[in-house]
Amino acid sequence: MTDWYPFWLSLRVATTATVVAGVLGVSLAYLLAKGRFPGRSLLEAVVTLPIVLPPTVLGYYLLTLLGVNSSLGRAWERIFGHPLVFTVTAAVVAATISALPFCVRTARVAIESVDPTLEAAGRIAGLPEWQVAVQITLPVARRGIAAGVALGFARALGDFGATVMVAGNIPGRTQTLPVALYDAVQAGDDATARTGALLLGAIAIVILLAVNRVARSAP
Amino acid sequence: MFVLLSLSVSTLGCSRSKPGSSGGSSTSEVTVAAASDLRPAFEALAAEFQRETETRVTLTFGSSGQLREQILNGAPFDLFASANVEYVDDVVDAGIGLADTRADYALGRIVLLSSDEALLPGSIEDLASHRFERIAIANPRHAPYGLAAEQALQSAGIADEVADRLVLGENVSDTFQICESGNADVCIVALSLAVADGTPYTVIADSLHRPLRQALVVTTNGDQPDAATAFATLVNSPAGRAVMNRYGFTLPGESP
Repeated sequence: MTDWYPFWLSLRVATTATVVAGVLGVSLAYLLAKGRFPGRSLLEAVVTLPIVLPPTVLGYYLLTLLGVNSSLGRAWERIFGHPLVFTVTAAVVAATISALPFCVRTARVAIESVDPTLEAAGRIAGLPEWQVAVQITLPVARRGIAAGVALGFARALGDFGATVMVAGNIPGRTQTLPVALYDAVQAGDDATARTGALLLGAIAIVILLAVNRVARSAP
Repeated sequence: MFVLLSLSVSTLGCSRSKPGSSGGSSTSEVTVAAASDLRPAFEALAAEFQRETETRVTLTFGSSGQLREQILNGAPFDLFASANVEYVDDVVDAGIGLADTRADYALGRIVLLSSDEALLPGSIEDLASHRFERIAIANPRHAPYGLAAEQALQSAGIADEVADRLVLGENVSDTFQICESGNADVCIVALSLAVADGTPYTVIADSLHRPLRQALVVTTNGDQPDAATAFATLVNSPAGRAVMNRYGFTLPGESP
């Protein structure tokens, strides 16, 4: 592939989206695992929606929700001086929303399976609740959390449907690797499509292996 | 841990991507959203435009319906070349198309194409035969070529007979790929794609479907209205018409 832009763009978009979805996802997972509040099941269902909706449909709703005719889209434009949709930021939003449910669901199971006696010990030792979370629950659940974040990264990296709707297929601007790959297939450009598929697979494998290794070796 | 890893990769991504994104240095850039059937013709025209004006043309291809949806929601395309005139009118009606730049640029034609040349049907009525197990057309709900294909099947009186053998492509070039890869026995696609590919095809009479009047308009979403107008002018100039004719596009009154 002569044009490396989609490759770097995809790395950038997927890593940014993973950071956002990871922080937001683990917080939500903790809330869902430990919190007892009305609407908890509803919140969980809503967070899961991006897995259920076909990506293009998800992208369409994001486009109507964040587009220049929406109140959110207009608010963004007032603050930042340009529309949100059809920018790299929009691609990050699409990838984040797609990745979020994978982070939340996997991390939640990990947090719930932490032995409650460990947490109880922390409380007896006088730790406040947030210290129990930071010093005991999250470190013990780290493998499950890392697995969720890795799944989220894979999903963010591979997203096509939502990205193509809300960020568009604009070469040199918002065309991520999966979108470029699809475009090459449409154009009958098999050589570019093959290179793109190999690259996408290679990034995913390298990053996922690295994450697994880090998660295992962590103290 | 992962955050650190991500950030390092992310910064690497940012620093390396800059030269690529600003590649054209001082030359300006016009962004064109075009229906999928235009890919071969517009790629040739974009190269010509770039040579003459040193303005880079960035092409985005998709189904006209999806592109219209994106433009209505603020997509920063300077020019919209649709496969049907109605979608262009929608953009003009929404107040984001420059009405005086709206122009017809082609009459689209549909053809039959087979993944196996020996099986190429001689007429659309042949599709009634069950030796064609899967027939690909573009999605008629948002792809004008799919709508024309559906109308042609109805006019030929075989719409019901083929209904459960239809496979819907996302747009017309997607449909072409479904057929080309052998995943459908036969497909109905744009003449332009068949011409560009060089495979044998059977033209479907244009009396079987409503005319595929393809129109374009310069939009106010982009920031290069002058360059976009210049590109639109090239499409309908004698040189542009020659390229369009080569890919099977004609205008009313033009001989194919």
